[in-house]
Amino acid sequence: MVEWAKDGHEPAFRELVRRYERPVFSLVYRMVRDRALAEDLAQETFIKVLNGIRSYRPEFKFSSWIFKIANNAAIDHLRRRELDTLSLDGAPHAQTPEEMQATALQLGSGQESPLDEVAARELGSHIERAIARLRPEYRACILLRHVEGHSYEEIAQMLDLPLGTVKTYIHRGRNELRVYLEGVNE
Amino acid sequence: MAELSRNPHLTPDEIELWAQGLLSATRVMHLADCRECLTTAERERKLLRDLAQLPRFGPEFGFAERVMAHVRIPTPSGNFGR
Repeated sequence: MVEWAKDGHEPAFRELVRRYERPVFSLVYRMVRDRALAEDLAQETFIKVLNGIRSYRPEFKFSSWIFKIANNAAIDHLRRRELDTLSLDGAPHAQTPEEMQATALQLGSGQESPLDEVAARELGSHIERAIARLRPEYRACILLRHVEGHSYEEIAQMLDLPLGTVKTYIHRGRNELRVYLEGVNE
Repeated sequence: MAELSRNPHLTPDEIELWAQGLLSATRVMHLADCRECLTTAERERKLLRDLAQLPRFGPEFGFAERVMAHVRIPTPSGNFGR
């Protein structure tokens, strides 16, 4: 299919989108937990992949290549957001309780958009919320391994991480998930 | 103690293999004697099953069209058709 796309056959491009849109969107959505944003990042991923199809190297699995680009887009976004985001308890420079209150994020204001409501329904289960609590690196490894079913070696290649680091992230991620879920079940 | 050194606790990798039904029979035997490993392994199996059953979500209708509107299709000569 990729070779066909490289030769300029538009149906091959469409087929690649059809095959990968759900897994790529699911990964990005679970990483950023915002439907509209996930759609933008997934779209950005496909545009980058399809416009760069001629640079694709067949020794790399196509799915690994596309997940690598999707994950990078999500991680880059999360890093940018971390820089921009105020703490739930207020801005770091807030000195007094009044300053902290004035700069704290307002949650549960009842102003959620329809898309927020969809996200709350789709990602509201205990396990989805536990996944969301993992740090992004652990979350990406857990999703790629246990939801998408990639091997440790493929994940190491996708994330440009040593194999041992991937194993450590997955084991720590699973331990944290078990702890979060045990807390829920008690 | 000597028994444990001959048949040590399962590693996280081995627990994952057990949850997938791929652990060697000799190592599976350890679970019959070790309550601690059995409890961990059963929790792990439940977690892996829950993760594997998570649904896949789809983007909004028309996603492929929105993508294709930004894609340049290469021609056999290496140029772009649009």
